[in-house]
Amino acid sequence: MAIPEILPLLMIGAFFVLLLGGIPVAICLAVTGFVFGYIGFGPMLFNLVPARMFGVVTNYTLLALPLFIFMGIMLEKSKIAEQLLDVIGLAMGGLRGGMALAIILVGVLMGAASGVVGATVVTMGLIALGPFLNRGYNRAIASGVICASGTLGQIIPPSLVLILLADIMGESVGTLFAAALIPGLLLSGLFVLFILALGIFKPAMVPAFPPEERAQYSGGDIARMLLKVVVPPLALIFLVLGSIIGGVAAPTEAASMGAFGAIVLAALYGRLTWPVLKDTVRSAFVTSAMVFFILVMSQPFGLAFRGLGGERLVQDAFAMVPGGITGQLLFLMLILFVLGFFLEWIEISYIALPLFLPIFHAAGVDMAWVAILVAVNLQTSFLTPPFGWALFFLKGVAPPDLKTSDIYKGVIPFIGLQLVGLALVFLFPGLATWLPNAIGW
Amino acid sequence: MRVLERLADGASCAVRIIGGLAAWSGLALVLLVAFNVLARYFLSYSSVGLQELEWHLMAVAALFGMSYGLNQGGEVRVDIFYARYGARTKAVIDLIGNGALTLVAVYVVWLSIAYVQSSYAIAEGSPDPGGLPLRYVLKAAIPAGFALLALQGLAMTLRAGCEAVDPARHRT
Amino acid sequence: QDSFSWKMTNAYGPGSPFYVEGPGSPTDFCKKVEAMSGGRLKIQHFAAGELIPAMEGFDAVRSGTVEMNAANAYFWAGKIPAAQYFTTVPFGLNFQGMNAWLYHGGGQALWDELYEPLGLKALPMGNTGVQMTGWFRNPIASVDDFKDLKMRIPGLAGKVYAQLGVDVKLLPGGEIFPALERGVIDAAEFVGPYQDRRLGLQNAAKFYYTTGWHEPSNATELLINKAAWDSLPADLQAIVSAAAMACNLESHTWCEAVNASAMVDLVENFGVKADVLPKDVVAKLKEVTDQVLSDGAAADPVTKKVHDAFFAFKKEHDQWASISEKPYHNLLG
Ligand code: NA
Ligand code: NA
Repeated sequence: MAIPEILPLLMIGAFFVLLLGGIPVAICLAVTGFVFGYIGFGPMLFNLVPARMFGVVTNYTLLALPLFIFMGIMLEKSKIAEQLLDVIGLAMGGLRGGMALAIILVGVLMGAASGVVGATVVTMGLIALGPFLNRGYNRAIASGVICASGTLGQIIPPSLVLILLADIMGESVGTLFAAALIPGLLLSGLFVLFILALGIFKPAMVPAFPPEERAQYSGGDIARMLLKVVVPPLALIFLVLGSIIGGVAAPTEAASMGAFGAIVLAALYGRLTWPVLKDTVRSAFVTSAMVFFILVMSQPFGLAFRGLGGERLVQDAFAMVPGGITGQLLFLMLILFVLGFFLEWIEISYIALPLFLPIFHAAGVDMAWVAILVAVNLQTSFLTPPFGWALFFLKGVAPPDLKTSDIYKGVIPFIGLQLVGLALVFLFPGLATWLPNAIGW
Repeated sequence: MRVLERLADGASCAVRIIGGLAAWSGLALVLLVAFNVLARYFLSYSSVGLQELEWHLMAVAALFGMSYGLNQGGEVRVDIFYARYGARTKAVIDLIGNGALTLVAVYVVWLSIAYVQSSYAIAEGSPDPGGLPLRYVLKAAIPAGFALLALQGLAMTLRAGCEAVDPARHRT
Repeated sequence: QDSFSWKMTNAYGPGSPFYVEGPGSPTDFCKKVEAMSGGRLKIQHFAAGELIPAMEGFDAVRSGTVEMNAANAYFWAGKIPAAQYFTTVPFGLNFQGMNAWLYHGGGQALWDELYEPLGLKALPMGNTGVQMTGWFRNPIASVDDFKDLKMRIPGLAGKVYAQLGVDVKLLPGGEIFPALERGVIDAAEFVGPYQDRRLGLQNAAKFYYTTGWHEPSNATELLINKAAWDSLPADLQAIVSAAAMACNLESHTWCEAVNASAMVDLVENFGVKADVLPKDVVAKLKEVTDQVLSDGAAADPVTKKVHDAFFAFKKEHDQWASISEKPYHNLLG
């Protein structure tokens, strides 16, 4: 009896040892999945691995991933992104952290256009990481703000997480989209406050542009440059968003408007040369493949965790929780947070939520509120080391000298802010429930 | 050791050529999805087959991209300790990781053959009228993609092996 | 006495009422079987995504890796075109007719004949009853209103609509609401009042056309690996069959009850306008359907055999219904 109970724990332990030892993430996932699965239930269930992998690579909603990555790389290779952030930094004048504030705004806008976490983090990493480092931003803070802003897409509708939660929790997708809007903006606001505070208390971490550089340009110059380089890429993001709001494209397809628009934009700037196109195509392919490689290779791990009855561990722990809805809700939050250290959010949702939902249902708790708490929590799980998807995705597009430890250090304050946001939604349920009621969704 | 290195070079060269061609599927995907959106909106034209082609392209790109991504140095690892290792330790870690990757890739090729066969045996197509036929060809991209991955893994294993024996040999 | 520990996968995600949870659902089936067999046949249920993705159950059962799968047979139309008829076809049989055909009109024997060579066995295990035409942002007054209408509608019905000028858009369940709400699509079909309200479709479109000409009923398929089935002793086989039949009845009656109250709620509290399609529109849909179905039958001899048997049965059943159910419904006003 004790042996099978302990296998999923051993599997997680082995995964961490290999991961920290420096074996690439994708290989750690596949190897521990296959080895511990084999010990636990033999080779039979592995016949399901191809089906799971096929499910990943043909998943329609993941289409946003290669499309947004293409957009990000086109903007990067054609130097449009670099100019954009430079000019924004200039325009912010003496305000410290100006570029970081700009990237939070981009995160909110991209988040409103997409719901696939890899897509937004990778795109923003491509656009912003280089300029941040060139301009002397602290490496950790630069990584942290990109990862955190990139995950905003998960809470700001539309979002894959919310769509899945609607399904599991029996709420309408529209209700959850409406309920998530204010908490999403609240989190963005917390990020903004944090950057402003850094600018005051740790100015060296988020430097403003040097005064001598600013002095080279008059206000009119800057206004003209803004018009020339900021407006078109922003228009691109609004094109994606607008194509959803204007009823031209469904959320997933809208990403293609961004990618296609980026090609057109590069052409208009006269930068769509053959080498740029070739380079863009090649790196977009490599970057998307890196994300899919991890997703595909995580399939044996997820299968083994299930096959070994990993969900029973969670059940057993749950059985020991003292009664009371608040206690159970807090415990759910804790479980989600802990599982977020080593499991992918879809697996987490499937393992933890079905256990708790009947109890909350029976107690008459507002499920839209619970769903938003869960969504904020899952969003945090994208950031929690060592297994935060956002962290890997950023690492995948970062220059080699950006260390994992920089990224880990950088996300810690943002995880703290996420927890503050979570606590606020917990204490003031109206943050989630007011909007859907007000608009009758 | 020369022979092993030449073998590794040959394998990764094959991966590079195939991947370099497959990379253009990404551009094709962008143009295809944009076409489907714009044609529906402006011309009221829509095709079930072209909509299915979207994720067909994505699947092929993802599966053929894995080996190419590794070939181009796209792997993601936690380097907290790795960054501090000496050349030989790094080579040993790479040898273990890449060796395991090669075995995993070969195993997935083997697992997926039956999966493709059962689709081929009934000439599986799309369940949607107007959808794309030959679903088994798409499914065959799994063993094909993993075979390439095994090839790339083998090349990387051989190279790491050579380095583990002789760390002075510089990394390419 | 031997005891068995089986796995069942499902094409629908965790928590879905009717398809996964609730009276007569697949999880309910597993509970019933365990109770009826005194624990000798335990079936562990996995919703879509837990063990395998939604549409992979067919292969998983065929390979024997899992013993059972819950889905709709028409999901396998790309593998076995005739499988369509064991869920529903446009202008096909209603709940009573479908079950009369399957249980007493030779339907089950044809199903067995179709699946046996693939090492499979299937039983009906649930039914939504009649579904709804769908949600439209604007009213449909004539066939011309289908011209350039963008609609989320999968399957055979999509092909029928396409021939009347509809632009067919394929969308996963979760994207139906945002797409319909923003007008990316003008119309969408999903299930029926209870399930549709759950997606919030009433907040995206107000014209709810009723009666599912395209899905007059919709059977849930219990797919079983034939070798596993043959390994069960006769009493456990009888228990599985009886539990499936019980779920078939229980799930349908549950749908009837919850759809009735959901429909009242939609009309009274959400301002939904429920209406039937104009007669000439329905006549045109029927005409195109007949063509589409006979084209399909002409392309594949096995489909033709099933098609002919299905419609031969239907012809007789229609005559009976027209002097039994139909006059009664007319009495209801
Ligand atoms: Na979003
Ligand atoms: Na339906």
